[in-house]
Amino acid sequence: MTEEKKPEERKKRRTATEAASNIGPMVKTMIREVLEAKETKKPIAYSFICCCYDEIIRAMDIVPHWVENYAGICGAKRDAQRFLERAEAENFSRSLCTYALCGLGFDAWREELGEMPPESPWGGQVKPDVMLGSGQMLCDPRNKWFQAAQHYMPDVPVYDVGLPWPAYESDYDYRQVQDYYVKYIVKELKGLVKFLEKHTGKKMDWERLSELVALTDKTWDLIWETYELRRAVPSPMGTGDAMNTMVPIVFMMGTQQAYDFFQDLNKELKQKIANKEGEVPDEKYRLLWGGGLPAWFALSDFNYFNSKGAVFPVETTYRMIEATYNFDIDLSQISDPLEHIAWRWVKFWTYWHDRARKRPGSHPDVERLIKYIEDYKIDGIVMHEAFSCRSWHPGLIWQLNLLKKVYRDIPSLVLESDIVDISSYNEADTRTRIDAFIDTLEAVKR
Amino acid sequence: MSQYFAGVDIGSTMTKVVIMNQSVLASVIGPTGPEHRKLANRVMEEALEKAKLPFEEITYVVATGYGRINVPFADKQITEISCHAKGVAYLLPEARTVIDIGGQDSKGIKLKDGRAVDFVMNDKCAAGTGRFLEVAAEELGVKLEDMGKLSLEARNTVRISNTCTVFATQEVVGKLSEGAALPDIVAGLHEAIATRIYGMLRRLKIEREVALTGGGAKNIGLVRALEAKLGFAVLVPPEPLLTGAIGAALLGKDIVKEAEKKGTPLPRAERRLQEATLFT
Repeated sequence: MTEEKKPEERKKRRTATEAASNIGPMVKTMIREVLEAKETKKPIAYSFICCCYDEIIRAMDIVPHWVENYAGICGAKRDAQRFLERAEAENFSRSLCTYALCGLGFDAWREELGEMPPESPWGGQVKPDVMLGSGQMLCDPRNKWFQAAQHYMPDVPVYDVGLPWPAYESDYDYRQVQDYYVKYIVKELKGLVKFLEKHTGKKMDWERLSELVALTDKTWDLIWETYELRRAVPSPMGTGDAMNTMVPIVFMMGTQQAYDFFQDLNKELKQKIANKEGEVPDEKYRLLWGGGLPAWFALSDFNYFNSKGAVFPVETTYRMIEATYNFDIDLSQISDPLEHIAWRWVKFWTYWHDRARKRPGSHPDVERLIKYIEDYKIDGIVMHEAFSCRSWHPGLIWQLNLLKKVYRDIPSLVLESDIVDISSYNEADTRTRIDAFIDTLEAVKR
Repeated sequence: MSQYFAGVDIGSTMTKVVIMNQSVLASVIGPTGPEHRKLANRVMEEALEKAKLPFEEITYVVATGYGRINVPFADKQITEISCHAKGVAYLLPEARTVIDIGGQDSKGIKLKDGRAVDFVMNDKCAAGTGRFLEVAAEELGVKLEDMGKLSLEARNTVRISNTCTVFATQEVVGKLSEGAALPDIVAGLHEAIATRIYGMLRRLKIEREVALTGGGAKNIGLVRALEAKLGFAVLVPPEPLLTGAIGAALLGKDIVKEAEKKGTPLPRAERRLQEATLFT
C-alpha cells in the first residue's frame, strides 16, 4: 500500500550556532507535551502561527498544536507524501496548500483508524478540542482548512478570528483608519475568549494575559536586537539557522522559554562576533533570503550555498517581529491586553508603509527588502517559489521586478519547489541554479 | 609547447565535445540517450581522433551540461549558464541576451562583458523545451528535423491553447481530426513554445542583440516564431549545439592562463579517458 511506504529520513542539517542545533529537541518536546496533554485531558487547540492568539491560549492554559509546524516536520523528515496522497484520495486538489493537505490527510487517516497512522512522525498529531482558524491577508487556506477538517471531526468546533490590517495605498495615511481596524480586532479577540471559555471550560486569567503580553513585547525587542547582530561581517548566523530559530518566534511566543532562548542566542552571536567567527570561514557573498517559505526537505541547500562562500545574514521569512520601541505609538501605555495585542498587530503590518510612500512607485514589501539590502550589505537576493503557497509566493517575482525598477538591479535567484511536496524538487537542477547564481555574483563583483 | 583545451557538454539528448587551441580544432556531436549517457569518453575519443591528438596532450578539460558531474576525466565542472555565456561572447560578441533551448530545459541569460550577470531557467516543465516538439513530432508522424521547414508552409497557423505537453499532444490529435493542415499545426506548436519561452524571458529585461543556441536554434520554424514574439531578428551561431562546449573549453583556457599569470601554473591532474560510473 502506498500509504505505508516510508522513505528514508534525511540526515540532520549542519547548523552554525549552538542555539539552532537545540531547536530539534525543543520541537520534539513541544509535540510530546501535546501528546501528554491529550492523555491528561488538558484542552488542545489546533493553531496557526502569527494569529494574535498566542498569549490568549497560554493565559487560559490551553495547549496549542501548531498544524503548520507538524506538516513542516513531516516534510523535513521526508515523510509527508503518504499524508498528501491520503488527502488526494479524499479528493482534495494537489494544488492546494500542502501544509493543509498534509494535515487533512493525517486527520482523515487518524480518524478512520481511531489511532495514529503507523509510525507517525514524532508520535503524531492529536485530535484537538477546538480549532482556531484565521481570516487575514497573510494566508488564505487558514479560513477553510479547519472547516474541511470538520469533515473528519464534526464534533470539534472552529473559531475563525478575523485579523485585518490597513492595506497600503500610496495616496493616503493608514492612520486615518487604523482605529477601526483595532476596534474590529479587539471585538474578534473578545469573541475568541468567549468561545474558548465555552468550549474548554477554562476561564481567562486577565492578569496573567497582561503579563504574557508584556513578555511578548520584551521578546520581540530582544529578537530584533539579536537578529540585528547578524549585520556583522562576517555574519555569525544565516537563514539556514533562522529556519530553526523561527520556532520560538512563531510557536513559543508568550513563554519565558522563547525569551530565554533568544538571550542565549544573543550571547552566542556576540561571542562569535568578538571572535570574528562567521557562518563560513571565508565569506564571499552576502545574500538576502527575500521571501518564500523554505523547502523543508531541502534545508541542506543552505549548506550548499555556504560551501560556495555564500551566507544569508538576513531573511524576510519568519522575521515576524519588529522592535516595539520603533513603532510610532507607545505600546506600554495600552493597558487593556486585547487592545494591546491588536495595536501591536496593526503596527507590525503597517511598519513599512511610511517608507514606501516616500519612494514613488514603491511598496512596503519592497521597502523592507531595500532596508535589509543596505543594512546587511547584501550582494544578491534568493527567493523560493513554493508552488502550493498561492497566497504569498505569486507576489515574489512581482516584488523582485519592482525592487529592480524603483531601486537598482541586483543579482537574484528564484528557486522553485514546495514546502512539503518533495516530488516538486530536483536536487541536481536546484544546485545547477545555485552554481550559476554564484557565477553571476562573481561576474557582477568583478 | 601548444596547449589544448576541451569542452564536454552533456545535455539531455546530445553530448558535445570541442577541442580548441587558438580556435576550434575538432568537434563532435553524439547522442546522450539512455544507452550512451555514460559514454562521454567515446565522443571525446572521436574528437581526439579528428584533432589527431592523444588525450594526454589536452591541457584542461571542462565539463558542462546536466551530466557534467559524471565526467570522470574532467578537471572542472562549470554550469551550462556560464559556458553558454562564454561561448556566445566568443562567437557573437554583439549579443547581450542568450536564449538556449535544450532538449530538457530552456534558459535565458543576460550578458555583460562576456559574462552571465542574470539568468532564468525552465527545468520544471517540458513545454518550452525541445521535448515538447519531440513528443508532438512523434504524435504527428513527422521527423523532428523536418518540423521547422514544414511550419514555414503554414497558411493559417493553428492556435494550440494547452501549455502542458501531454494535453497539447491531445489537442494536436483533435486538430488533425478536425482537418487542420499539418504545416498549420506545426506552426502552432512553434508559436506555443515561443510564447512559453518569451514569458519566461520577460523577467530578464531582454536586450539586443539576442543569440539563440541549443537544439531549438536549428529549427527555423521556432526561430521565426521567437523572432515574431521579440519583434526583431535573432543571431544564431553556425553550429548552435556546440556553444556550451566551446564556452567550456574557453573557460578552461581562462583558468589555465590566469594560473600562469599568477605564477602558479596548474599541475596536470591525474586523469584518463573512462566512462562515467554513475549518472544520478
